[in-house]
Order: sequence, then structure tokens, then C-alpha cells
Amino acid sequence: MKRRSPVAAALAVLGYIVMIVPILFVVATAFTDGETLRFPPEGFSTRWFEEATSYQPFTDALVSSLQLAALSTAVALAVGIPATLAIMRGRLPGKSLVEGLFLSPLVLPELVVGLALFQQLMLQMKLDNFQALLIGHTALLLPYTVRVTGASLVLADPALEEAARGLGASPLRTFFAVTLPVLRPGIISAALLSFVTSFNNVPISLLLQSRDFRTLPVTMLDYVQQNYTPIIAAMSTLLLAGTVVLALVAERVLGFARIFGGINR
Amino acid sequence: MIRSRRIALALLLPGLALLVGGVVAPSLVMLLSPPRVETGEVLDRLGRMLSDPYDLEIIWRTLRVGLVVTAICVLLGFPTAYLLARSRSRWAGPLLALAIFPLLLSNVVRTYGWLVVLGSNGVVGRAITALGISDEAPQLLYTELAVVLGLVQLFLPLAIVTCYSAVAQVDAGLDDAARGLGAGRTRTMWSVVIPLSMPGIAMAATLVFAGAVTAYTTPYLLGGSRQRMLSTQLYSYSGVTLDWAAASATAIVMTVLVLLVYVASTLASRKGQIR
Repeated sequence: MKRRSPVAAALAVLGYIVMIVPILFVVATAFTDGETLRFPPEGFSTRWFEEATSYQPFTDALVSSLQLAALSTAVALAVGIPATLAIMRGRLPGKSLVEGLFLSPLVLPELVVGLALFQQLMLQMKLDNFQALLIGHTALLLPYTVRVTGASLVLADPALEEAARGLGASPLRTFFAVTLPVLRPGIISAALLSFVTSFNNVPISLLLQSRDFRTLPVTMLDYVQQNYTPIIAAMSTLLLAGTVVLALVAERVLGFARIFGGINR
Repeated sequence: MIRSRRIALALLLPGLALLVGGVVAPSLVMLLSPPRVETGEVLDRLGRMLSDPYDLEIIWRTLRVGLVVTAICVLLGFPTAYLLARSRSRWAGPLLALAIFPLLLSNVVRTYGWLVVLGSNGVVGRAITALGISDEAPQLLYTELAVVLGLVQLFLPLAIVTCYSAVAQVDAGLDDAARGLGAGRTRTMWSVVIPLSMPGIAMAATLVFAGAVTAYTTPYLLGGSRQRMLSTQLYSYSGVTLDWAAASATAIVMTVLVLLVYVASTLASRKGQIR
């Protein structure tokens, strides 16, 4: 482009300010030496980071969130990859209905799904809240898994699979030797995307919480309402740092924009 | 190709069971006949909700906030996506990454930033008193403006990413051709780039609107009980007062709102394809 439009540039700058600046203020206030959340911060210290990392409800919730995200990601992949194969390589009756069903968790409001699972799974079927959370999170992740692994399956030539079968490979061997290597980038993308989505989820985790098992975002949300100390700013800064590390790993492995934005540059 | 239909179904079955048993069936039961609620009570409550001024204000506020947030996200997101997709600068890649990055970051963290900015001892309030514009910091939190700002921050990355994919698919040569034929910058934008990116813009608007009218964290933290929206109202019925007929009625309004937008957007994109 030869000359940039000043109007478009101004709108873009405004957009970046709205997206990024509030996050920078969180980081700045996290290093305060004062007791309350205020800007500019009073003095400099890392005491709120020490508070945050030694506050047991947060550390417990962090462990819970990591467990839930890892497990629901694993289950979503284990269930989602075979489903993707069936949808894209199988001759199924009612294919569009099946595809619609796999999109349903994206269309239904998450609070609605959360309340539904609370009533049906926890109250009616007496499942404990971890089981209900695992089901809820896994179902929420399935659409991403199917779409992202499906996108890399499109790139795989079915003729290669046919050739392997023709040469005598069993369907399982064909899958592991031919299809899986092509799917690998899709699976890595789906895993990272799923992990982040589950870890950050609020609506489902909120409605399915219990005293014994609560996720970190829900615990932080609860804390913010009751206290105005900078401990949340410190915890948020730690989460930000963790997210940056994850983004850098994603960038090295496969390309960050490709995984999280679906963009190939 | 999976030749056997039976194997295909077997591969599909766990996923189907999870979605039917873990999403669709519980949601339908919850929306239509929640436990411990007598038949017809949900519809009764829905009827009362749609004629009660307080409830109608909540629905109208949710709708209004959703529309304003969608408009702002498209207004800011499309130009950003356009500049990023067309730029040959070495900064375009890092800037695109910066726009995508917030998508990975917890909503709680992102929304918390506005408490620091808009809170009574926050950036804006202190700046106003320090500059002597006013002796007292204005009430910025728990206003509709705060909710709108928070939701724009939340959904702008989604708008940028969706528009980016659309603009990137429009051949940049067409821009040059229009300019070469004498169209100005503005005319090229409105007659070439925007019409050709329309499916992406419509998709971005749909996703942002559906997200904004169902988001919970942001209206909860920035709107509080003063700016009730459907989502915070739904949680207060289901998690606090345990009024499940009212919770289901609220959930029905929210779900219908979102489904209507998805259906409208699907129909519009089909129409666009035929034309």
C-alpha cells in the first residue's frame, strides 16, 4: 500500500489502546507497596507477588485449573480426532445434522450449558462437581478440536491412505503411519487452543464449582468482589507471564497466529 | 475413506454421546422443564418477564450493549485488520500477534484492568482530580460505559482476526486497479474492499454480538448489580436465589437472542453466495 489512510490508522491505534493499555496498568499496580488498588502505585515492592503465591485458595485453584484443563484437553482430543475422521472420511447418514451437533456448544450460551449441567448431572444424577466439570469442559472443547484437526485433515490426500491400504496396511497402521503425521500440526494447535479455552473458562466453571474443587478464574472473580487489595493484580500479572510463555512456545512450535488466530502468513 | 458405515459410526459415537448427553439434552431439559419446577411455570415466568418493566429494561440493556459493542468492534477491528493484512512493514507480524494475544489471556485478567483504570482511585479518576477538572472523581465503574469498554476490549481481537482472514482473501491487486482507474482512497474502500470483505465483517459482527450478550465476567465486574444484564441476572437466579423457573425463562430469552442472530447471519451469507 502506498499511502496509509489516516482515518484507518487512527481507528487502529484506538483499538490497540483499548485492547492493551488496561493490561499494562494491571502490571504497574501489581508492584505497588501500598495496601489498596490505586494509580499511580505507592512505592515499589514485590510483596503482593509473595502474598499471591502463598495464598492457598489461589495455589489450590491453580492446581485444579491445570488439572482440569489438561484432562479435558486430553479427553477432547481422544474423542474428537476419531469423530473428525468419521465426519470427513466416512459416509455418514445425516451428515449436516452431525456437523450441527458438533457446533452446538459454540452456539448455546455457556451459562445455559453450565446451569443445565448443574441441574442434570450434579443434582439429578449425583455426579460430583469434578466429573460434571470434565464433561462440560470436554464438550465445550470438542468443536475446536473437530474444526482444527479437520482443517489439517483437508490437506491430507485420501489417495495416500488408499495406497497404504492397497499395499496391505491395516486401517490402524494406515492411520498411525499415514494420517496421523499429517494431522500432527492440527492436533498440536487443537491441544493448545483447548488448554487455554478450558483454563480461562468462567461460566461453566462458575456454575459447577464446589468448595473442594474450584478453578482459578472463578476463585479470582470471587476475591475481586470482596477485597480491593492488589493481590489480584499480582496474580493477574503472573497469569499474564504464563500466557506470554505459552504464546512464545506456540510461536516456536507452529506459529502463534496460525494456532490462535487461524491465520497463515 | 472409511468404507464401513459401522466403523464410522463407532468412531463418532463417543463424541455424539458427549454432545447429546453433556450439552444438548441437559440444556433442552433445563430450558423447558427444569427440576423442582411445575410444568408451565417456566412459560408463565417468561410471560411475566416480557411484560415486567424491570425485566424488560434488563433485556433492552443487554441488547443495546450488544449492538453498541458490535458496532464499535467492527468500526475499530476492520480498519486494523485491513492495515495489518495490506501492510508490508516488518511490524505487521508482531502487531498482528499483539492483537491475537489477548485471546489467550483470561477474561478476568483483562476485565480487571478496567477496575484499575476506572475505579475510584484509578487512572482516570485520579487524572481528573489532579488536573482540577473536578474535585471528586466521577463514578465510572458500574456504568453502562464501563461494561461497553470492557466488552470491546474482550471482543476486539476476535473482530480483528475474523476480518483479517476476510481481507487477506481479497486480492490486493483489486485495490490497486481501483486506484489506478482513478478511484480515491475512500471510494476504493467503500466500493471494492468493504463489499468484498462483507462475509467476514458479517461473521465478525455475529460472533461479537453473540459473545457480548452472553458474557458473564465483564458485566459482573464492571456493571455489578446496578447494570444488570441477562447473564448476571441468570446467574443471580441460578446461583444465588435458586429461582429456577426464572433462571430458565432468562436462559430462554438469552438463547433465543443468540440463535436468532446466528440464523439471520447464516441466511444472509447464503443469500450472498447465491447472488
